[in-house]
Amino acid sequence: MTHKTQSVAYPYFVVALLLFGLQVVMGLWLGIQYFVTVPQSVVDVFPFATARAMHTNLLVLWLLLGFMGATYYLVPEETGTDIAWPKVAWAQLVILSLTGVIALVGFFFGWTQGKPLLEIPRPLDVLVVIGALMFLANVGMTMFRARRWTAIQGSLLGGLVFLAVMYLFGMPFYRNLAEDWYYWWWVIHLWVEGAWELIAAAMTAFILIKLTGVERKVVEKWLYVELGLFLFTGIAGTGHHYYWLGAPKYWLWVGGIFSALEPLPIALMVWDTWRDVRHRTTPLRPRLTWVYLVGMVVLHFVGAGLFGMAHTLPQVNYYTHGSQVTVSHGHLAFYGAYVLLNLTFFYLAIPRIKGFRDGEYDERSGHLGFWLTSMGVVGMSLAFGVAGVLQSYLERYLGQPYMVAQDPIRFWMAIVAAHGVLVVAGVVVIVKHLLTLRSVTVQAA
Amino acid sequence: MSEKTAKLIFWIGTLSSLVLFLALTVDTTAQFAALTHADRLDEQVVAGKRAFERRNCNDCHTILGFGGYYAPDLTRAYLRLGEDAIKRRLEHPEVAFADSYRKMPQQNLTPAEVADITAFLKWVANIENHDWPPQDSVARWKRSTERMLAAAALSPGAALVEQENCLTCHSVGGRGESKGPRLEWIAGSRDSAWIAEYLADPQKLAPGSEMPDYAHLSPGQRQMIGEFIAAIAAGRGR
Repeated sequence: MTHKTQSVAYPYFVVALLLFGLQVVMGLWLGIQYFVTVPQSVVDVFPFATARAMHTNLLVLWLLLGFMGATYYLVPEETGTDIAWPKVAWAQLVILSLTGVIALVGFFFGWTQGKPLLEIPRPLDVLVVIGALMFLANVGMTMFRARRWTAIQGSLLGGLVFLAVMYLFGMPFYRNLAEDWYYWWWVIHLWVEGAWELIAAAMTAFILIKLTGVERKVVEKWLYVELGLFLFTGIAGTGHHYYWLGAPKYWLWVGGIFSALEPLPIALMVWDTWRDVRHRTTPLRPRLTWVYLVGMVVLHFVGAGLFGMAHTLPQVNYYTHGSQVTVSHGHLAFYGAYVLLNLTFFYLAIPRIKGFRDGEYDERSGHLGFWLTSMGVVGMSLAFGVAGVLQSYLERYLGQPYMVAQDPIRFWMAIVAAHGVLVVAGVVVIVKHLLTLRSVTVQAA
Repeated sequence: MSEKTAKLIFWIGTLSSLVLFLALTVDTTAQFAALTHADRLDEQVVAGKRAFERRNCNDCHTILGFGGYYAPDLTRAYLRLGEDAIKRRLEHPEVAFADSYRKMPQQNLTPAEVADITAFLKWVANIENHDWPPQDSVARWKRSTERMLAAAALSPGAALVEQENCLTCHSVGGRGESKGPRLEWIAGSRDSAWIAEYLADPQKLAPGSEMPDYAHLSPGQRQMIGEFIAAIAAGRGR
């Protein structure tokens, strides 16, 4: 840590981690409902739909809070100045956390906008927008005052503005359902395969520079190429969501071709990381940060790149669209691309914020947490995948009624839930470890 | 590669994709009205969409394949289930799914909401989306059922279906109405004996159903109808 105001990132990380814990607990409950018969009296009060709204919104909220915290940590080091308004950063955290809590309680009482992943009701959307504006103003002002521009900063700020603008498309009420989904994907797809990838690329480049000591010029040059490929494949690649919603047929061509290229930028990111690691000028320490970084790069490629491409071809997607195959891809992609990214960043930043010497800490339970969670998520995604292929064959291909086809799938959902237990255990270990990080030197003394 | 080339790749990649995407968006927007039959999108359909959102239906069900994967896709629910079965599920899910291992919440919908959501599902069912989902593909229904009907034309069960005018409420292949469930869909989860018993007294097996009873037919005739419907069932060699 080079600037005092960077420490405002820490409370963001704390809130994000607590929400992460809640998210996976809710996820486990969702998994259980697939193979256990929940009595009508419980379903009437707390239906699957409510729990799903909580699970997905908690995910989005904690990832965004993680990104914001990471931004507050990263920007002062990049610009060489303090955060413009540290108090605004605090106020923003309070507003966004409160919005989150009100939304979750509201969901329980049926207060919802009723659109998957964007269930937050419109009055609360206003609070989200206020929080986002405070954030952008603060970050923008810090960069503006410093008058020092790096590619990492540009990618980060571009991604954040892109993210905020896209959110607006999810707010209006659309009369036409097809049009509604068309713009829903401007939020969801252009976030995860556009704006968030810009933020992720910036955070990864920052992490690589800090950890490997590789020359900034090299990292930034490849950052441009990565971003260009991400946006080239990602923007028109939105078309792979437009196959079956009532849009013209040319989307089958556009979506199919552009999304076939989508693994390319991620592959470049993998190669990039590997090259930087080979040319590192500093030792691989602390080891745990490296475990997370490598885990992130590999699972980002497998989950988002390979699992995504496996079912984006229209000929395949006709049978797998809207089945558990999507769920399989979704879980592994989010975990690899964004969950591990945030966790890697937390492991990089927290020891520095706390002022440990050389950023070293007692890393033992962090390894346990990583392996429990990663094995859990990978196993879960494989089980979701089997369930999805079964569903595609039995329901979509043979034409069995939904509930008949669900019967043999229940076994695989039990396997999913079993892995969910691993994930919850792993996340508890990680959250506890990160919130109670101790310096090794202190322990030795 | 120089930094200049890298920057060029960034700008060309981003802008070319963006221009293509925006141009296609303009064209798609212009075509939506025709592809979704926006002329049939009246105030009741919009009210139905609002009710559908208010009740958070979409976090258990998919529609156009998007949403929760916990319950059946609703894109073609109107054509598969028919109006009566949809209404019974909306009004009394606790009865409709009493035997099911997965439940639907009783949300105490108002009669207006039930009518609106049904109108909404009817409109959605006619969106032209390249014949997705496959299990409700009208083209596939037609092909498989035509073959079956040709073979079954001489079957007494098929003759009884015609004689009793079942297709004034139900549909089969490309014929009939969407008041009751599609005939091919019924025996996906039921056998011929169940159908025969149901024909004798629908209220006993599906309380609240608007289906009239066929007690005037002999048990043998009801069994023949059951066997015909079982023979054309979805998921059995379709």
